[in-house]
Amino acid sequence: MNFELSDEQKDIQRAAREFARGEFDPDLALELDQSRTFPESLWKKAAQLGFIGIHYPEEFGGQGLGLFESVLAIEAFCSVDSGIGSALSMVDIGSEVILKFGSKNQKEQFLIPLAKGTKRMSIAFAESEDGQDLSSLSTISERRGNEYFLHGEKRFVLSASLADSFITLCKEPKEGWITLIVGRDREGIAVHPIEKLGLRMIPFGDLDLREVQVPLENRIGNKGEGMTHVLHCYQVMGLRSAAQALGTAQGAFDRALGHAKQRTQFGKKLSQFQAIRHKLADMAVDIEVARWLTYKSATEYDQGKMEPGFLSVTQLEAGRRLVRVVDEALQIFGGYGYIAEQAIEHYFRDAWGIGVDLGTEGELRDRIAEKVLG
Amino acid sequence: MIYELNEEQKTFQKKVREIYEREVSPLVEEYERKETFPVQLFPILGAEHLLCLRCPKEYGGPGLDKISECIAVEELNRICVGIGAGIMVQGGLATDPILHYGSEELKRSYLSPAVRGEKIGAFALTEPDAGSDASGIRTTASRQGGGYRLNGLKTFITNGTICDFVTVAAYTDPAKRGIGINLFVVERDDPGFSMIKKLKKLGNHSSDTAELAFDDCYVPKERMLGEQEGGGLGQLEETLKSGRLTYGARSTGVGQAAFEAILSYVKKTKRQGQLLSKSQAIRFTLAEMATSLEAMRYMTFRGAWLFDQGLASMKDASIVKLFCSESVQSIVQKAMTIQKNSGLRMDNPAQRFLCDGRLSKIPEGTSEIQHLVIAAGLGL
Repeated sequence: MNFELSDEQKDIQRAAREFARGEFDPDLALELDQSRTFPESLWKKAAQLGFIGIHYPEEFGGQGLGLFESVLAIEAFCSVDSGIGSALSMVDIGSEVILKFGSKNQKEQFLIPLAKGTKRMSIAFAESEDGQDLSSLSTISERRGNEYFLHGEKRFVLSASLADSFITLCKEPKEGWITLIVGRDREGIAVHPIEKLGLRMIPFGDLDLREVQVPLENRIGNKGEGMTHVLHCYQVMGLRSAAQALGTAQGAFDRALGHAKQRTQFGKKLSQFQAIRHKLADMAVDIEVARWLTYKSATEYDQGKMEPGFLSVTQLEAGRRLVRVVDEALQIFGGYGYIAEQAIEHYFRDAWGIGVDLGTEGELRDRIAEKVLG
Repeated sequence: MIYELNEEQKTFQKKVREIYEREVSPLVEEYERKETFPVQLFPILGAEHLLCLRCPKEYGGPGLDKISECIAVEELNRICVGIGAGIMVQGGLATDPILHYGSEELKRSYLSPAVRGEKIGAFALTEPDAGSDASGIRTTASRQGGGYRLNGLKTFITNGTICDFVTVAAYTDPAKRGIGINLFVVERDDPGFSMIKKLKKLGNHSSDTAELAFDDCYVPKERMLGEQEGGGLGQLEETLKSGRLTYGARSTGVGQAAFEAILSYVKKTKRQGQLLSKSQAIRFTLAEMATSLEAMRYMTFRGAWLFDQGLASMKDASIVKLFCSESVQSIVQKAMTIQKNSGLRMDNPAQRFLCDGRLSKIPEGTSEIQHLVIAAGLGL
């Protein structure tokens, strides 16, 4: 067992922190959040510095490192600003499917622009109103020669109006479940935007697909593999969300700690009241737990031996501890915690967005129970 | 012990629900989105005798008891917490001190018009550096001629930009911490009084919250509450006690709204091919919510009953506020967790219940302050 980051990992962590502290201006964060705008220029800079696709092989524009190193960068970004950090962490959602199942051509064509910061990617899997249930899907892709024709409706799609392409799950009558890389510029795609409480810099929306033509070369992997691709993608997203949760909890803690040290009431700093000290102690414990579970899952992933049951443990804990930490941070700020111009309000909203991405307690417990009970 | 509302109270509950659903419900979406208070409600609710419920008949009020007020507050907050805030301040913090300590003249000039909804009231105690520590306020009222000059800053003031008058706490004697405070009624157009800015908030969007400034603002002596200098915080005691009980009903109202919404959601939503209402974990969660709501409601009514008997201590009021404002968190949070992404949509009220419910732990004494008060009430 080794609980210490390598020198290279420490360098990445430091570089990510320095970049975020230098560039994520609080006023800019507030403005982007209020106007629901993606941090376009920060995304370009982050990509130039190599923060997008850290875990892609070098030949496809990445750093050739592990998902663990990506997790460190996401954590650092979100700790400086939950909104900007999350937005930059979610520009290449779905790339995992290409990375693991895609052809060399697909990797060159799609991963390199993601890493360069010239294209963005997302996924279009679910069709239920919560955007997460895969039990009733009706998107059909009919193969005619070397083309697929897609028809269906995908709901609650992340980056719906922003991504250049979507890894789309669909059923071909003869081939079964497949995933296709669908360009947003294809004819027949309509986006219906959804306004969401948190993560406002990322535009969500429903996608209507009407006779959308996709070439055969955009099919990832083999026929019948679609669900395998989706499950793999959800696992990596679970890990990345856990990193966002960890960073966001850390950021909320840092802000609350700063406030407690400088705010005086009853002639004492808040940090001198036992009740506040204990809150901060509990928050620190929550963050420790979330951090080591997340790091363990990321390590296991990179070693190719991640157990899905254990990932659910990480997701469950990272999610509920995030909500608790952010809630207490807001409480320490008192009235100021509730005001939008202040430091902590959007952490609360973003935390719920991230928490939801991590999955519901009920479903995660179901999976953990399956693992425990066999 | 009779654990049932009497016939009069039940009729009142039915009546207010009908009025709020008719007059308030259609406004919620628009004013929540615009983040402004629908001021047209003041005369409408005034005509229905639903502002300042405890104000005696001689000043135009319906002269109801605290239990009835809590019934109305729960029903209004079930529909909208933001709108509930402005109406609550009108009938509580802004006018209670005038009712109890104001001269006949002040009652005729401010209380009666407030009851009719012709004037909107606000209450200003909190300052940028004095929230939980109310005695730490720095606003001063210095004697000058036949009145006082007020100087200071106030923040988080409900109805701040829409009020016609504001009941303001200021030190007439800053040397006497806590004791040297008085309450003054300041009018919207008084020179030296200004509304600095409206505050954007996590929730409670339709309530109007602002920062106010008093810059050599002259107030005639007649607009001070009470004859003597000092004792303002003591005057607030009953008002704050009453306000903390009201917060029990406010939390119950938003909890009830979130509960009704999730109850209907789980009955009609399928996941993995199964209705959510068939999941044992979800059934247990809803059972817990229902249990909490019952407890919150009866804690509030008991506190209100004690208040009506003149038996409620500050400790009793703080127990109600603490219990209800903490209990509602788990209701709104669990409702959100069950709905996942769809609950976070801005066109789904679930996100509003979450953010509105979150407020409860902060105003009129944070949960931490309620702990302090309860511990002190235990003789510790």
